[in-house]
Amino acid sequence: MTHRFDAGIDRGTAFTITVDDAAVRAFPGESVAAALLGDGRRAFRRTARTGAPRSLYCGMGVCWDCLVTIDGRSGLRACMTEAQPGMRVLTGRTGLEPEAGR
Amino acid sequence: MMRVDLAVVGAGPAGLAAAAEAVTHGMTVALIDDNARPGGQYFRHVPPSFRRTAATAFDKDRARAEALFAITRHPQVTYLPEATVWDVPEPLTLAVAAGPRSGQVEAGAIVVAAGAHDRPVPFPGWTLPGVVSAGGVQNLIKGFRLVPGTRAAVAGNGPLLFLIGASLLRAGVAVAAVVEAAPIDRRLPAALPQLLAAPEILQQALDYRWALLRAGVPVLTGWAPVNAEGEDAVRAVQAAPIAEDGSVDRARARSFDCDLLVVGFGLVPSVELLRLAGAGLRFDRRRGGWLPERDEALETTRRNIFAAGDGTGIGGVELALIEGRRAAVEAAVQLSRIAPFAADEIRAGLRRRWKRLDRFRRGIEALFAPPKDFLALQTPQTVLCRCEEVTRQEIEERRAEGFRGAVQLKSTTRMGMGRCQGRNCMATLAALVAADSGASESAVALPKARAPARPIPIGDLLHETIPPPDLPADPHLPRKRRT
Ligand SMILES: Cc1cc2nc3c(=O)[nH]c(=O)nc-3n(C[C@H](O)[C@H](O)[C@H](O)COP(=O)(O)OP(=O)(O)OC[C@H]3O[C@@H](n4cnc5c(N)ncnc54)[C@H](O)[C@@H]3O)c2cc1C
Ligand code: FES
Repeated sequence: MTHRFDAGIDRGTAFTITVDDAAVRAFPGESVAAALLGDGRRAFRRTARTGAPRSLYCGMGVCWDCLVTIDGRSGLRACMTEAQPGMRVLTGRTGLEPEAGR
Repeated sequence: MMRVDLAVVGAGPAGLAAAAEAVTHGMTVALIDDNARPGGQYFRHVPPSFRRTAATAFDKDRARAEALFAITRHPQVTYLPEATVWDVPEPLTLAVAAGPRSGQVEAGAIVVAAGAHDRPVPFPGWTLPGVVSAGGVQNLIKGFRLVPGTRAAVAGNGPLLFLIGASLLRAGVAVAAVVEAAPIDRRLPAALPQLLAAPEILQQALDYRWALLRAGVPVLTGWAPVNAEGEDAVRAVQAAPIAEDGSVDRARARSFDCDLLVVGFGLVPSVELLRLAGAGLRFDRRRGGWLPERDEALETTRRNIFAAGDGTGIGGVELALIEGRRAAVEAAVQLSRIAPFAADEIRAGLRRRWKRLDRFRRGIEALFAPPKDFLALQTPQTVLCRCEEVTRQEIEERRAEGFRGAVQLKSTTRMGMGRCQGRNCMATLAALVAADSGASESAVALPKARAPARPIPIGDLLHETIPPPDLPADPHLPRKRRT
């Protein structure tokens, strides 16, 4: 399980994003990865070649392991994308699309 | 096209310090960084939307950060956040990808302060969800006050492991073990004289170690992770003793339950931009691998291109701050923005502090010097290239067919051709090829540096005013635009 701890901070009012049809809570300023991890999710996607589960690894935009589809755009790095109210996030096999941009 | 006196790549400690120094000499500055907020690896903080209710240990250094960040609002500084420098098309010109703001920056001098990234070390299970890099966990803690687990193990090599272990405890997470590959306890007496060059930093390190001890966390030194266990996420880690020659004693393995495995095997300087610029590099294993050659003035072998901070060899935040300033002073001298006598005065003070911190760094390097390699952690099924899912076995099969060098193995297996552009695996490939040929890693011919230095969205190239360079036929990379 994930652990959000409130040392000296007030996160403000949570909003909701949709992740594969489920409502997930996110706080203003959080990355999509933080929201997914905060919801207790482990795998963000499965790989194209072997279907292995992957999640956040480098946490700083280097490894491209945390790819998700957001509002129809595939291949976005969850760790580099800020969560916005109403976002629709799809996890799953997103390693397949070539030329996935921002 | 933008024209400035000084272009600074990276708004971490080194880049911020360089910009701050440059403006005091009347220079105009472009400060370019791919993050949304300044601070680099070290000065990371919660987003402005998180309201602070009390000062805590997690805010250490916040005042210093705020003072440094002020430079991004200085009238002489053009700060470009969320902007990636992806090429050096002319000797003193940078190609910048930043959505509609993309374009070129032409400068009288350049300071590359690109920092470093985690050294990826493959071992069985390291791709499982819940196995997270040290930098990644640090970012979640510092940036979001979030730990993706409730029982953590920390494993790898380098001084950051103890820092991470201590901050996990502070965050209220149980720490199952800290596993450090170097036999640091045995080496401490020999390294102590150098470490005492910076007693204030040594004290911090001892505080972390003490916090772990007090919490009863097992600290294994001279051990390494040999397996992360789990199906859909990590459930436990097995660690075993590792010798200086890199051999591991799996028979003595111990297992620690955890739902988060933090791995950190030290940092690798980000030299891809300097490689593209044609700057000379040298190999220094203890300091992170390939580093730019620099002279006394921190100038690379390319005229008026300076390099500072962790991107020139891992040295920590204090050294990065000083190097940033030193590089900017030298750039000001080159561009005749400062009188030589005035420069000498600033130089003397900075060099004195630099020497002291450099001595401390040598102590740390001696203490944490890694085993010869980490190849023995791999099994045939271990994924070496996370993007293309290339296993050790596939590499061995190609080798059996006669493919040997890094370039051949890359093109026959696709290792290093994925989205991360080899940043997660080229070091592994180089180590494998070196071990195979009996040569040192420094002698391994790596595939040629190619733009983009970092992956960039294809759309940004459409805003470019220069034709994109020839790009490798890689479906994950933006392709050459036909015009
Ligand atoms: C987990 C972790 C914990 C650490 N803790 C400590 C600590 O407690 N004490 C300590 O002394 N040191 C610590 N360090 C090391 C410390 O982070 C560095 O020493 C310091 O940040 C180095 O500063 P820098 O300016 O050289 O590089 P960085 O802080 O890495 O900044 C470089 C910046 O340049 C940007 N950049 C790079 N290339 C490009 C490009 N092509 N285009 C655009 N932008 C680019 C990067 O995104 C980054 O923002 C830690 C490092 C890590 C990973
Ligand atoms: S976790 Fe590595 S890019 Fe997002």
